[in-house]
Amino acid sequence: MKKLSNETYRRGPLWVLPLALGLVVMVLPFLGIDAGTQRITVSVALMSMLVLGLNMTFGYAGELALGQSAIYAVGAYAAGIFAVAGLDLPLTFVIAVLAAAAVGLLTGVPGIRLGNWSLGMVTFFLVLLVPEVVNLFPKVTGGAVGLPGVPLPTFLGAPLNGQAYYVLVIGVTIATFVLLRNFATSRHGNALKVLRESPVLARSLGYSVPGLKLKTYVIGALPAGAAGALFAYQDGYINPASFGFQMAVALLAASIIGGADSIYGAVIGAAILTIGPLRTSGFQQFSLIFFGILLVLGGLFFAGGIAGLARRWFQRWFVDDRLLSDVKDVLASEVEFPRIHGKELRATGVEKAFGGNRALRGVDLVARPGTVTALIGPNGSGKTTLLNVVSGFYKPDAGTIAVGGVAVEGKAPHKVAASGVSRTFQTPLIPKGMTVAEVVQSARYARDRASILAAMLRLPSARRAQREDRAEALRLLNIVGIAELADKPAADLPLGTRRLLEVTRALAGDPAVVLLDEPASGLDESDVQLLSSVISRLRDAGATIVIVEHNFEMVMSIADEVNVLHLGEMIAVGTPDMVRNDPAVVESYLGKAAREELERRNAAQQGGSK
Amino acid sequence: MMTTVLAGLSLGAVYTLVAIGYNIVFISSRVFNFAQAQFLMAGAFIGFLGSAKLGLPLWAAVLIAAFVGAVIGALEEVLAIRRLAGRGAHNELVTTLGVGTIIAGAALALFGADPQKVTYFDSAAFDFLGGRTNLVDLLIILVAVLLAGIVGLITRKTMIGLASLATSEDRDAGMLRGINVKHLAFWAFVIAGALVAATGPLVASKTLASYHLGDLLAVKAFVAVAVGGFGSYRGAVIGGFVVGLLEMFGARYLGTEWQSISVFVLLLVALIVLPKGLFGRSQERLV
Repeated sequence: MKKLSNETYRRGPLWVLPLALGLVVMVLPFLGIDAGTQRITVSVALMSMLVLGLNMTFGYAGELALGQSAIYAVGAYAAGIFAVAGLDLPLTFVIAVLAAAAVGLLTGVPGIRLGNWSLGMVTFFLVLLVPEVVNLFPKVTGGAVGLPGVPLPTFLGAPLNGQAYYVLVIGVTIATFVLLRNFATSRHGNALKVLRESPVLARSLGYSVPGLKLKTYVIGALPAGAAGALFAYQDGYINPASFGFQMAVALLAASIIGGADSIYGAVIGAAILTIGPLRTSGFQQFSLIFFGILLVLGGLFFAGGIAGLARRWFQRWFVDDRLLSDVKDVLASEVEFPRIHGKELRATGVEKAFGGNRALRGVDLVARPGTVTALIGPNGSGKTTLLNVVSGFYKPDAGTIAVGGVAVEGKAPHKVAASGVSRTFQTPLIPKGMTVAEVVQSARYARDRASILAAMLRLPSARRAQREDRAEALRLLNIVGIAELADKPAADLPLGTRRLLEVTRALAGDPAVVLLDEPASGLDESDVQLLSSVISRLRDAGATIVIVEHNFEMVMSIADEVNVLHLGEMIAVGTPDMVRNDPAVVESYLGKAAREELERRNAAQQGGSK
Repeated sequence: MMTTVLAGLSLGAVYTLVAIGYNIVFISSRVFNFAQAQFLMAGAFIGFLGSAKLGLPLWAAVLIAAFVGAVIGALEEVLAIRRLAGRGAHNELVTTLGVGTIIAGAALALFGADPQKVTYFDSAAFDFLGGRTNLVDLLIILVAVLLAGIVGLITRKTMIGLASLATSEDRDAGMLRGINVKHLAFWAFVIAGALVAATGPLVASKTLASYHLGDLLAVKAFVAVAVGGFGSYRGAVIGGFVVGLLEMFGARYLGTEWQSISVFVLLLVALIVLPKGLFGRSQERLV
């Protein structure tokens, strides 16, 4: 059977299909479905908006912000209260969405400082607080009994009947999905996946983690507010009991079963969790048990839910494996080394102690553009600590660090990264759910501001930014020699390839200083060779490279200058040959006996050559 | 005023009981068991069965509750937690939330939605230290403090306790030193489940047995640990009392609508001002 070409699958307008489906659903009332089915469809649509918002914060960004149903309540009450006061639908809708955004922002603020557990608990508490908050202002909200008297929705003065309301709901749902799908497939969605994998990685790429988190909470809150506004008009009455523990659990279950990191999965999950209970008689009693089982299974076997399974199945059986056309073009073209504008790194007198443990005692390090500066030393000598200080993850107790003459010591890691310091990690941090090209592209996110609104609307500026991101990523991948892997999932690659990928990512965006933390660790001979040749060529292109490495051979072959750390002090600095024969270095690695042996040999040589 | 104090201490003691369960599991396996409060709820229903339906004496109900709690704890660890060892808080929150939901759902299916009375204790009020209280409230306070003291002592002074502390700081190091980390986690869930469930018949005499007893209880007991510090039993007592007192004084002087809201504010303040709690212990390695 002829398979769909990879090019069409990834580049073609396949989004037309869900859009068409949505439009068909929208006109169903005019094709004669009954009011009962219309109502169910509206419920599914509203719930899918809620789940979509949850997918943004929980599935994409990895934040346990579970307060969706509380924000839903905020949207519903905001719209309801102002509708009772006589305002028109478009106005109440906007008010509800703004209120939801504000609440989403406020409740996300704790999430910036807190770990995931605490964020989960705080947002969960919010959900449980809804009844009490409602009871605080019973005159306005109707209290525990509910808010009655929400009039029929009026659009510019004209009341909307049942069918018109239905079309409005489906229309808003479609619009929400379009905007959020564009957001998720843009470089912003990519950035969220990086954040999900590791905030440390995000900072090292220059992302402002608090800013990114806040944006995510707001974006996750918007659909909830919109859904709430529409929900308020559904029955002319708001019951506070609709937003509680059960709804929160159902939302989480829907997100997981549909696929928390998918867009259309939200619809699948919402459909299952709305229609399923309705179809089974006597379900009410067992609904909680059902949701609970879904949560347990989903948490255990979190494999992307139904949407993830469908995607994988479709790709396996119906899409071929050919390289995309721009990858082929890049492979066919000449490998041109970009000019890298490395800057000088100068660390002076750096001191760092952890409690009583003085990890760095007044260390100096200079790395110049167009050179490879190696940092070696036995375990525990402070090499990684020095890298962490330089990249901003630790604040030095004393000393200065300058990149191109500009002081960076004491700056937050993402600011240090923004001044051009990029790094790799001892264990490669490669986010799940991204292709190789996307991993490299993620390094450009902070260097190149791009508007979220432009991404949501797929404006030319956003599309151009995405094209340029990909073009540079492909060029860099070609330089390193792994361009043909550009569209493969990155997290499943073998270790050697992942390390090369990390190095490639560190190069994106013309870095001033590149810090490599044990890049050869765990690699076999041939991979080490490849890595060494790549690093040498980058050095020749002008990069400032600092490499921490245990692999002595590799260091000797590529380093221009070797710095030796021992128990927090620099005991030798010089060319590889000088350092190799330095008695202090030999003693620190091999012990006193070896040092004496070396000194004897040196003396004998000197004596013999006289 | 003393009445409010005693009421606050008693309510706080309930949070302390769940917090003790949180700590036992957290210390031994670094997992936060969202379902812990539901064990109390399960024990509460066993108390209801024992007192209203089966005519069992209190000690029998307590033992059965402990047994049921132990079994559920064991099942939870084996089915929902074990496979996730170290994969990250993300999935553990989801699975423990799932287990808690299942327990609540089972209670709903078995006993219906109406709260049930547990009649082991005479609820007559009497004067004590200048305030009105009753026997159940005082007993709960006593049990909570005693339990925290005993478990705290065991953790600090016995080998098994020290092994748990060590494992919670560094799981791999614990394994290298010969600690059977899996066993430790398993027994922690079992013991926490048994202890917390066993207090159910007592607590339910105060709070009534209801399928959604566990929801707010889970979150407020979390506030108790947030205030007192994760992993500290002293902290569980102090934190629980702080939450209970705040809640009761808030209800008395601001109105019952402000009850849970004041606890929420306390949670935010505690998390931001005291990120490790009053007596907490935890280290993070950065890169």
